[in-house]
Amino acid sequence: MTSRRGDHDLKRGLGSAFGVRRSPLRPAARWLDTNLGGSGLLRDELRHIFPDSWAFFLGEIALYCFIVLVATGIFLALFFQASEAPVVYQGSYAPLAGAEMSVAYDSVLNLSLDVPAGLLVRQVHHWAALIFVGALIIHMLRMLLTAAYRRPRRINFVIGVSLVLLVGMNGLMGYSLPDDLLSGTGLRIAFSITESIPFVGPAMASLLFGGEFPTAGLIGRVYPVHIFLLPALIGGLLGAHLGLLWLQRHTQFPGAGRSERVIVGTPMVPAYALRTTGYLLIVGGICAAFAAFVQINPVWLWGPYRPWDATTAAQPDWYMGWLEGAVRMMPGWDIQIGGLLIPAIFWPAVILPGLIFTPLLLVPWLDWAATRDGAFHNVLMLPGQHPVRTALTAGFVTFLSVLLVAGGNDVFAFVFGWSQPAFLVVLQYLFILLPPVIALLTYLLLRGRARRWASTVR
Amino acid sequence: MTAAGKDRGPSPHVRTWPVGLGITATIGGAIAFAWSFVVGASNQWLGGSLALALLGLGLALAFWGRDLAGDEVLAGRYPVPPDDTDGQAALATQLDEHASVITRRSFLSKFLIFGVVVFALSQVVLLGALGPWPGNSLFTTGWRKGRRLVTEDGEPVTRDALATGGFLVAFPEGGDDKANSQVALLHFVNGDFVPPAGRESWSPDNFVAYSRVCTHAGCSVAEYIDVDQMLVCPCHQSAFDVLHGAQPLAGPAGRPLPQLPLAIDKDGFLYAQSDFTESVGPGFWDAT
Repeated sequence: MTSRRGDHDLKRGLGSAFGVRRSPLRPAARWLDTNLGGSGLLRDELRHIFPDSWAFFLGEIALYCFIVLVATGIFLALFFQASEAPVVYQGSYAPLAGAEMSVAYDSVLNLSLDVPAGLLVRQVHHWAALIFVGALIIHMLRMLLTAAYRRPRRINFVIGVSLVLLVGMNGLMGYSLPDDLLSGTGLRIAFSITESIPFVGPAMASLLFGGEFPTAGLIGRVYPVHIFLLPALIGGLLGAHLGLLWLQRHTQFPGAGRSERVIVGTPMVPAYALRTTGYLLIVGGICAAFAAFVQINPVWLWGPYRPWDATTAAQPDWYMGWLEGAVRMMPGWDIQIGGLLIPAIFWPAVILPGLIFTPLLLVPWLDWAATRDGAFHNVLMLPGQHPVRTALTAGFVTFLSVLLVAGGNDVFAFVFGWSQPAFLVVLQYLFILLPPVIALLTYLLLRGRARRWASTVR
Repeated sequence: MTAAGKDRGPSPHVRTWPVGLGITATIGGAIAFAWSFVVGASNQWLGGSLALALLGLGLALAFWGRDLAGDEVLAGRYPVPPDDTDGQAALATQLDEHASVITRRSFLSKFLIFGVVVFALSQVVLLGALGPWPGNSLFTTGWRKGRRLVTEDGEPVTRDALATGGFLVAFPEGGDDKANSQVALLHFVNGDFVPPAGRESWSPDNFVAYSRVCTHAGCSVAEYIDVDQMLVCPCHQSAFDVLHGAQPLAGPAGRPLPQLPLAIDKDGFLYAQSDFTESVGPGFWDAT
């Protein structure tokens, strides 16, 4: 031992004598290598290259929202009680004093109005969820517009679309938990939609909800799904998504020195790590700013859920707006065949989401079927380069936008003083006509540009 | 490129003032946040100071990183696309060779798969623990022959409790299944209401009760608009014509609200002649 130490001191002495600076991190690196191994691998990965573009931060916003959601969610879980047992409200909110409510709703009121910083954390959680889904959707649209889903990233695109689906579902679970009037109404509609599925619907609804709605214990059933099952799936898929991204490297936009073989960008340490940590904090800061100054879901105003109460202008969170719009727009065409019934709500609430998500999940293969391009691609296409792809994406966005507007048709009609049924008819026509029109216009607009592009590239 | 390992002076392109300003904001925000918490300041103070702290540090790091990114642009190689078909063939052969140790035992390996499938299927029964079989529950409510109508507070509803043109929400006495039993009780001016065929005896003295569970998505059909004689659901704006058997007038509902057969006893109390004669609420496979 003594001799080794002496050796060590000697080296240090020699090093300083020749003016070579010894890194203060040397002991840490030595510890890492001797205890875990792989310092060489780590050395390479510290310089992992990230191509630069603002468009590549959309996915990071989503990731950071997830981190904010987990952090705030743990705080909320310390106070929330998932029970429908009746209790008389004795908290500080005078308008509800003495009201009978569930333990769950009581705990959310307590969390919001009496726990220090509780309201802030709850509002950060809700805002982060809204931004999360928005970032995911815009991130996905970026993939569609730049054909980033081509080989070797087909599987990662499928993972991404699954994440959109799971995150949206978990948002629905989240706003079902407070057991206020809006959350109870949402669960009631979810029961009705499940019930509408031909043949298996009633049994499925009964199994999922534990009987005929409203069932005791439903909040206790939604809670582990919201805080454990879905977050575990989301976290796992996020890990896989990032792992694949790391192994395959990020795509890049075309540019000088860049090719399908050569990646150009910023190394992870120092520049990229600083920037992305900054973005994490900025996402957290924006959520905090919204939570401070823009009230969201003031559950104390809605009152406890009682199935015979209702409120006007009730709206789900924005990312469920398309589904709400579809449910509102669908005419009441119940199909009755010899004593059997397919309720009209089955089509917009069960079939339509399937019609949206199935082709989305298959986009990499549909693209391949159309272009026969099965090669590896690391360089992205620009939206103007491929008019058909961009036109289809524009049509898809239009389609979702009409649905979203229809989800708030009562509010729009009220604000602009329109007749609500007439506005609904207008929306029904727009739903059919507007997406193809916008897609066609986009195509015509880009066609000339794409030709010029192709000729300059040649 | 910064010279690594030699003269490690500050990176020339990093501007000091945005980073310094950001860190200063963070320190101010952090102190304000702790102070706000301790004195119990408003949500605006608490969240505003937290936002300032996070945004200050975040912007500082983002600025610093951005300036550094301009200093150092690297080029590297993407993973090579797999054109090594020999390698893939070798992998397949290898897998095949080692797996065949198992598959060579043809009977045993098939029996193994059979056993695993039987086990997996047996676990499906656990689904049964999740909830009861729906049975009759979707077809029944809390209404029974002779059960009185009461208000939410449990007050029995009498002939005199509701003037003509009036509206109230009623439940079966005893409070069973209030959610699915809720009815809208309407008292019409004589001659306004047109009973659907076969229901002439369900509306004594022009008292009419409709299920208040929307046939579209199950929300409470909570709004009564007396000038239009409509019941409207606030969730998806389905409107029902109360003068004509609550047939849907507008919105997404496809079927009328079920009507509860009413009667009035000699003391003037309203009661149900029976349960609803059809399932209430949204449709399902065997609802009709």
